[in-house]
Amino acid sequence: MTVLITLSLAGAGAGYRFSDDLQKLGRLQPKLCQSPTALFPHKCLHCQCFWQVPRSKNLTLKSRELPRLRLARAKEAEDSFTPNVSEDTDDMFDDLFDKYGKVVYSSNDRKSPSTELDDDAETLSFAVAMANVANDVKAGDIKVLFVKPLVYWTRFFIIATAFSRPQSDAIASRIRDMAEEKYGRVPSGDSKPNSWTLLDFGDVVIHIFLPPQRAFYNLEEFYANATPVELPFENQSPFRG
Amino acid sequence: MIQPQTHLNVADNSGARELMCIRIIGASNRRYAHIGDIIVAVIKEAVPNTPLERSEVVRAVIVRTCKELKRDNGMIIRYDDNAAVVIDQEGNPKGTRIFGAIARELRQLNFTKIVSLAPEVL
Repeated sequence: MTVLITLSLAGAGAGYRFSDDLQKLGRLQPKLCQSPTALFPHKCLHCQCFWQVPRSKNLTLKSRELPRLRLARAKEAEDSFTPNVSEDTDDMFDDLFDKYGKVVYSSNDRKSPSTELDDDAETLSFAVAMANVANDVKAGDIKVLFVKPLVYWTRFFIIATAFSRPQSDAIASRIRDMAEEKYGRVPSGDSKPNSWTLLDFGDVVIHIFLPPQRAFYNLEEFYANATPVELPFENQSPFRG
Repeated sequence: MIQPQTHLNVADNSGARELMCIRIIGASNRRYAHIGDIIVAVIKEAVPNTPLERSEVVRAVIVRTCKELKRDNGMIIRYDDNAAVVIDQEGNPKGTRIFGAIARELRQLNFTKIVSLAPEVL
């Protein structure tokens, strides 16, 4: 962009004096005018000025200069046409800009808001079902977080505490079985019981921690801005003792 | 393109500051490691008074490389530095937070724990 600007300025000084420079300018002009720049719409006007001043000088030139003159005229005819094209494209870009603002490109795979909401609802029901399963195996302090506004790569986090490795294994295998049986979904993630067992269902990610790891990694704090989801069994927890 | 003797920054708060790769886990005669590969590394520099110390041998996952990462859709990601995250034998990160942007390829390679601790996923 800066290169283009320096060319037009350098030409402004020399173009008035030399007819040869005029032709150089003529060669430059189509390039300048064809570049669809919304930032410098006045650039083409500059070029027009170069042409109009020397044209009167050209008429008084000798006969050996005539071929050059013809060339210049031919170029002039071309150039009288090209600025219109560039103006058209400029207008087109202006219209596009007015219409769509700064977004010029958007991917086609974007879903409509309604299908997005449906998907969210479906995923929510799946997440709550998985949280229920974890609750059945007596996982402690189960939290379901709606993290979609914070991260793009998933929708819900389920964070649960298991109090021993066998229990964490039990929770993970129960969740795996239920998900496959009822929803036909198979998670990726840890296959062996771990101090932090993770099950990745794509739009739902389940973290099962042992108590020290839960305090250590403190995921709830990291995702503190996420909206917690109300769980149906939360009110019944005093019953379980 | 990480190979033995490559120095890497540490992209977590585990306490290590700089690692040197000494082995790439996987095939027996592998030349280079890329994003998502596990390496064995030695800690060359560590923050004082942290569990990890200098000259300790640890496992780490590469999360950023200066060598371009190409995606199927034509996107190319190239970072300014080589960086790794220290993990334990089970694959849990030793630190609690990850620094900087990481690539989503780590999730496909079963490092969702690292992805879920990262502030930005590309």
